[in-house]
Amino acid sequence: MSINPGRSEDEFRSLVESLIDDPNQNAGLIKLLGEDHAIYDQRGTATVNRMRGWILVAFARKQLPEAALPFVLEELDTGVDAYVVAAAASALRTYPERNPAFAPFVVRAISNIRYRDENVSLHAYGGFAIGVAGTSPVRELLETLVWLGPSARAVVADLTTLRDGPTALGKKYQTHLTQALEAIGVVASIEDDCCQLPESVRGIFSSLRENRTSTKQLDSTLFEDQDGTSLTFEEFFHGRPSIVAFFYTRCDNPLKCSLTITKLARIQELLRTEGIADQINTAGITYDPGFDLPERIQNYGRHRGVKFAPQHRLLRAPEGVDSLRKHFKLGVNFIESLVNRHRIEVYLLDREGQVAASFERIQWNESDVVGRARELLTEYENRNASGVTRSSIASPVLGSTVALALALFPKCPLCWAAYMSFFGIAGLGSVPYSPWLQPILAILLLVNLASIWFRARSTGRMTPFYLASVGAVALIASKVFAGLDPIGTAGVICTLAGSIWSAIAATNRRQLARQ
Amino acid sequence: MDVEIQINNSPQPAARFVNWAPSACRIRITNPAGSQGQATHNIRLRSVSAASAGAVNFRQGSTGAFATSLTLPVPINGNWVKFQVAGRFGRPSVNLDDVKIEARKGNALVGSVTCTVRIRKNANTLTPGERDRFISAFAQLNNQGAGRFADFRDMHTNVSSPQAHGAPGFLPWHRAYLLDLERELQAIDPSVALHYWRFDQASPNIFTRDFLGVSDNVGAVEFSPNNPLQFWVTDGVQGITRRPFFNTSSAPPGLLTEAQTIALGANYAAFRVMEGNPHGSAHVSFGGSISSIGTAARDPLFFLLHCNVDRLWAKWQKQNGRFDPTTAASFSGSGSNPIGHNLPDTMWPWNGITGGSRPPTAPGGTLAPSATVSAPGLQPRVRQMLDYPGTVAAANRLGFDYDDVPFV
Amino acid sequence: MTTRRKTAKKTKAAKKTTKKATKKSTKKSTKSTKKAAKSRPSARRSPRAALAVATSSKESSPRRIAALQEVPLAVCENDENLNSLLNILRDRNEPIKVRLAALQSIQAASFSVIAFESCRPDYLAALREVVDDPDPELRQRVLGILARENDSYVQQRLLDGLQNPAKALVPPEKALQLLSYDVHAESYSVARDIVDNPPNPDAKREALRILAADPNSAPVFEKLLTDKDESREVRQISAAALQATKPRRFQERARQMLLDKDEYDDIQATALTALTQFGDKEVGQDQELMKQVDKLGKGKSAKVKKTARRFLMRYKA
Repeated sequence: MSINPGRSEDEFRSLVESLIDDPNQNAGLIKLLGEDHAIYDQRGTATVNRMRGWILVAFARKQLPEAALPFVLEELDTGVDAYVVAAAASALRTYPERNPAFAPFVVRAISNIRYRDENVSLHAYGGFAIGVAGTSPVRELLETLVWLGPSARAVVADLTTLRDGPTALGKKYQTHLTQALEAIGVVASIEDDCCQLPESVRGIFSSLRENRTSTKQLDSTLFEDQDGTSLTFEEFFHGRPSIVAFFYTRCDNPLKCSLTITKLARIQELLRTEGIADQINTAGITYDPGFDLPERIQNYGRHRGVKFAPQHRLLRAPEGVDSLRKHFKLGVNFIESLVNRHRIEVYLLDREGQVAASFERIQWNESDVVGRARELLTEYENRNASGVTRSSIASPVLGSTVALALALFPKCPLCWAAYMSFFGIAGLGSVPYSPWLQPILAILLLVNLASIWFRARSTGRMTPFYLASVGAVALIASKVFAGLDPIGTAGVICTLAGSIWSAIAATNRRQLARQ
Repeated sequence: MDVEIQINNSPQPAARFVNWAPSACRIRITNPAGSQGQATHNIRLRSVSAASAGAVNFRQGSTGAFATSLTLPVPINGNWVKFQVAGRFGRPSVNLDDVKIEARKGNALVGSVTCTVRIRKNANTLTPGERDRFISAFAQLNNQGAGRFADFRDMHTNVSSPQAHGAPGFLPWHRAYLLDLERELQAIDPSVALHYWRFDQASPNIFTRDFLGVSDNVGAVEFSPNNPLQFWVTDGVQGITRRPFFNTSSAPPGLLTEAQTIALGANYAAFRVMEGNPHGSAHVSFGGSISSIGTAARDPLFFLLHCNVDRLWAKWQKQNGRFDPTTAASFSGSGSNPIGHNLPDTMWPWNGITGGSRPPTAPGGTLAPSATVSAPGLQPRVRQMLDYPGTVAAANRLGFDYDDVPFV
Repeated sequence: MTTRRKTAKKTKAAKKTTKKATKKSTKKSTKSTKKAAKSRPSARRSPRAALAVATSSKESSPRRIAALQEVPLAVCENDENLNSLLNILRDRNEPIKVRLAALQSIQAASFSVIAFESCRPDYLAALREVVDDPDPELRQRVLGILARENDSYVQQRLLDGLQNPAKALVPPEKALQLLSYDVHAESYSVARDIVDNPPNPDAKREALRILAADPNSAPVFEKLLTDKDESREVRQISAAALQATKPRRFQERARQMLLDKDEYDDIQATALTALTQFGDKEVGQDQELMKQVDKLGKGKSAKVKKTARRFLMRYKA
């Protein structure tokens, strides 16, 4: 199934209707819920809401599959569009299981949307209700609570407040509330437990990355921070674990960007309290670098409690949005340079700047994020303590010994004899000419080179590797082609220099990590 | 001989602002030269200023009448002698430091200090200088959408509106809101106060290109090239949209007059229906941002409108003696109102509480402090917004007054 | 005369002028105020009683309008009250002034958010019914209310109208203005089309206001700012837009405009105001510019003189 991004909304509507009727096409339909899907490119926010709402309405007519559940719960958690929230509430009722973990999401949604309640139609595309006909998100949410029945016992207190408290819902919703409370019955209330959500759903909201993608393509991406200081991805994100949140100042959903940066400030506070604020970076990166100039992001952060420091910045990447999108697989789309929709997304990067974990779609807990970041700190320390790392193979002693040995390796048996007489003076016994040693030395040289390369990747400094490579090439060339002895000498020097430099860089990095 | 005079008991220039309500002051001899063996000297204090400028009165204790001058016995040992200063009702300052308090021993001038009688005025009566300083401070606070004003805009949205509307906390919340904004303006230009739009009277001087702008037929507000409000940005969008449904050389029709508003009732429950008319009616006398609750704070006129609402409350309080939160008629329904609308409640966003029955974020942080008063503190409670002139207790004083609401 | 006396004299004079102007306008508006006073609501009648008058077709329009001004807090007491006002709003046979007054009454009630919560859904739905009303004033007000709620139905209708004038509910400049309430409305593309091909100057201006938030439009604003054939309004908007998106670039252009002896006063005044409010410290170190502004401060144009003086106060202080 190919989705043409340029489809009109009418075509989109028909597409969804055809997909929902074919059970084999559910996966395709779920893919359309991803905000980064090409079909939403260059569409306005209202259009995107209509389209996504229609998909949820389609599921509400059939059955909501588990793979679509994260999107529904996301909408309940932070949605502010009446149509989409109503559609989400309606869709949830077609899920095969009445899961107790849903109830807090539904109550949260009522709190989010109640003062934005409006009549919507879940029959018409776009949900426009003209006149008093139709339903409303609050009504749909209350019906979902009724549907949950006893599974909503965790929110009994909230429902009672909504029915009887000083800010009770309007009279027309009293019946629903009473029904929901009756359905729950007289059951002991329990604490809500989001861990009851299906594993696959929890895995989307919060996940560890087993395979971490290299940041090679991103390292040279240039950022500007809130003070107008320029720095590359590599310069900021290599060397320490980082907590990275995405935002933009023109976000009009206070439950997303404004709250995200407020929580980032709280994370900074937690890091300070734990004494690890200097060991873990925090960064907010704007989706909207063209508009979010340094002064704007500085004020945005400061007004939300962010305290700036060399390890704690808000960043814009004037030319790097596409690279960031690709690397992080960001859940965002645009109409020209303006975001039309995005998900909540926070990433934890390891010391190499690679994504190690993520928190997506729903509100995340500051302590959980800090806890995960702390694990990344100890991850590197554990690796160092075991002493078995790829980088530990590389050693100046090994590198230079091998290089020297190769350089001095006699070209012929007569030279070998000359060497051996020398060693005889030194007290060594005679050793027969061993030409097989030369390739072995060459292989050892390449092993040393490979080791320097691994270390270079971990320290972020490639120059020692380049130097050692030049040395290796020079050495091997001097053995292969006659008359290149001076080149061989230069090769020894370069190999030695590269090995020593690599070792120093690694030592410095270890010392920095311990500070 | 030299003396030192401190306004609001502080040496800081930022503290040299007074209102109609009395400010605690003090004087001491710093250089007793020429004291000729006397242990105390009578020092006479008086207010000196131009006829069009501010003026202050004095009294020695914390009770009793004020006078235009005061003679105090001041010891040469350098001990402070307390006294009080209050702006002379009807004589607010026009410029910064346009009042000088002189201290004389006999005819000799032994010390002086300048101060400002900083009062919220009818914006229609501002001098060009006052007006220009006011809008300049406002424009700087906005800073083309990147400034601190964005927090004030974010405090008044659809999401946050239940914290401040439709329940008894409406008036106290907006009083705190205006006070916070005013103090931020004063951090930019201390001579500035937040002035009001007297919406039951013609205010043609407000709706000019040099002040809050002239609306064209589409509702776009135009400013003169000198007016920094031409750079106003909110929500990332340039300009102000405002379309009056009335001739701005007269008052909008249909609003309760000041007299009618104050006559709504002697208890708070009756008075607060003014949230509908004249408050709501004033908002919807226009098309444009100011006429919808979620966008109203995008228009700077909003703050002048609400300043008048607050002035009406202040006048009602004065007329009915409703400054004391322990007086039942001063407030209504406390204990059974929504959160943020009961006397002991702290108020969002200054309390920093988010989630649950409060909005998800609390923009702007705590309430701005003042160099002249300590009330209401960083996280004010509803009850602390009632006794704004410090009538019940001097420590309650919030540091503002209105030009037509006297202290006594 | 000392500076202080001069200042006091000036202040006195200014105050006198202001008082005089106020007195004059007060006198002028007394007549209209008296007229308005006749339509002022009586504060004694209960909202319910007022509602009865407001909804009675037997009463005169002025009496009904006066009654409608008293009912905001009764609007949401029950469904019946709300519906009675919504029915007036919807009914094309009702006098338009009464319909507008009913709308204002409900709008005023909407500020009491907690009380209005239960009324909101039906209110918005009724407004959508009225967007096609034959009365242009009512249409415009209703569209304005919905646009400020970021209503996607209204956004779509407005965009349709801009793309197809036969479907337009309001003039293009008004449609653009209403779309500008939501920066996320899909209005950049249509705004650009209108800048290139404006149906009228107001529409061009509103289109530029929308594009002022688009960083990619900075080159357009720079071009308009420096084009002396453009209107003052367009150049003023362009100045503000460039200052917001490319402040350094604006600063350079502002400098050039101030040094240009043939530049219009208004634009120089705008440039000076912008630099005074938002300029970097470096502005004050530009000797050539400071000298020029000093000259402008002694020149003929009153508005330039005023802004020049403020500029110098900031950068010489």
